[in-house]
Amino acid sequence: MTKLLDLGIIRIHDLLKNMMSLAEITYVDAIEAYKKDDIIPKSSYKNSEKLRMLQEEITELATELIARYQPVATDLRFIKSSLEISYNISRFGRYSFDIVDLLQESGPLIDCDKSSVLEMSKTVMNIISICFNSILTQDTKKLEELYELENKVDIQYKKFLRDIIQNQKSLKNNFERRDSINCSLTSLLILRYLERISDHACSIADSVNYIKTGKSSPRL
Amino acid sequence: MKINNLNVGFNKKEVLKKINLDITAKKVTAFIGPSGCGKTTLIRCLNRMHEMTQGAYVKGDIFLDNTNIYDQKVNPITVKRRIGMVFQKPNPFPTMSIFDNVASGLKLNGVKDKALIQRIVKESLEGAALWEEVKNELNQPGISLSGGQQQRLCIARSLAMHPEVLLMDEPTSALDPIASAKIEDLIHELKKYLTIVIVTHNMQQAARVSDYTAFMYLGELIEFGKTKEIFENPKKELTERYLSGKFG
Ligand SMILES: Nc1ncnc2c1ncn2[C@@H]1O[C@H](COP(=O)(O)OP(=O)(O)O)[C@@H](O)[C@H]1O
Ligand SMILES: [Mg+2]
Repeated sequence: MTKLLDLGIIRIHDLLKNMMSLAEITYVDAIEAYKKDDIIPKSSYKNSEKLRMLQEEITELATELIARYQPVATDLRFIKSSLEISYNISRFGRYSFDIVDLLQESGPLIDCDKSSVLEMSKTVMNIISICFNSILTQDTKKLEELYELENKVDIQYKKFLRDIIQNQKSLKNNFERRDSINCSLTSLLILRYLERISDHACSIADSVNYIKTGKSSPRL
Repeated sequence: MKINNLNVGFNKKEVLKKINLDITAKKVTAFIGPSGCGKTTLIRCLNRMHEMTQGAYVKGDIFLDNTNIYDQKVNPITVKRRIGMVFQKPNPFPTMSIFDNVASGLKLNGVKDKALIQRIVKESLEGAALWEEVKNELNQPGISLSGGQQQRLCIARSLAMHPEVLLMDEPTSALDPIASAKIEDLIHELKKYLTIVIVTHNMQQAARVSDYTAFMYLGELIEFGKTKEIFENPKKELTERYLSGKFG
């Protein structure tokens, strides 16, 4: 006999799966738009909104399950964590939309050096994959790698920030300055959004660890 | 209290095996586990009530402070005074008034000072959160009260002896939800000055009222720890399965 609580938990799993595929699409679209410099994906805002709604649905359901069935042990840890995991996934969507929104403001970036952003976007894609995989499989083995990659992203972001400040100082005239400011500001903001995404991925990794071990945060 | 290597049974039947457990003072410790696992037997050992059953035996030690309550020299009556007990079904003395129910233990112990008895009865009824409801009908029979009130009367009766420990064996299982909630609130008040041990088959009740939880199965103590830990992150798979309703 299937327990009513289990039905609810299965439903949360399904909602999380929906969120993950939607978040991934939204992210990939945003990076493609940046890379190709042509069409701005119209769906980004809608996807981000949809993610937020799915997150709300999980919050409602999780709260109801806790109130109604007073789950314990693994069930409790999963349900409690689903609140945080869904919030963090919804942020992936939100920052991806922010990237698209920024591209609309900045206009074409054909003459910009995009290498930093594109490089980091690959690392972040990797982080997202490890992160989503760990949710699906409840496997914590690869999370160490995720934490390391996140660290790398952090360092890259800070380095870029410092370089930009240095560069701006050394530019000779206003003309040069105006051109480069568009490129560097866009890069900087996108790198910042990517850094935020990987930070949220780390929170998810913490949650998966917690579901498995009951320990709050294994990171130091 | 400290339970040391406790083995307990009836005649040849071993009911509790090698129980070791520390019960923290002024905290609530809950015993949970499926029916027949030995919760009642264990709690009845804690104030030497178990040995009153025919054929019952107890091996091992139980300490209250530094006294081994199973020491030859210790008087079982003293033990029962220091360690009170409340049962599953409220059992006020049927022929006695509310007042006399609470005063019965004092009188039995030879207390004659009427003013003192009156004061303790009032304090005990207050302590059991019953005073306001019965202060104008203290001469009515105890059994005229509702089930929940009767249970609080029994708690007041125990409190009158100024025990250090209060044992409660499924104290709310005969009560409706509102009366049960009152007992749970009361437990929370009482632990300010009492050590409480409660047996409950209602896991959510254990989660709500206790600081420590002991999970028992087939006469053994399977897992013991802080209630939050036991319910959120049990170490043993058996505990997890029982708590999540996967067996029992
Ligand atoms: N008076 C008795 N004589 C013989 N066996 C008993 C007696 N009382 C209880 N038992 C047995 O002891 C075991 C534990 O019972 P008990 O402590 O009442 O369990 P619980 O309170 O956890 O339901 C059970 O197997 C029960 O059958
Ligand atoms: Mg029992």
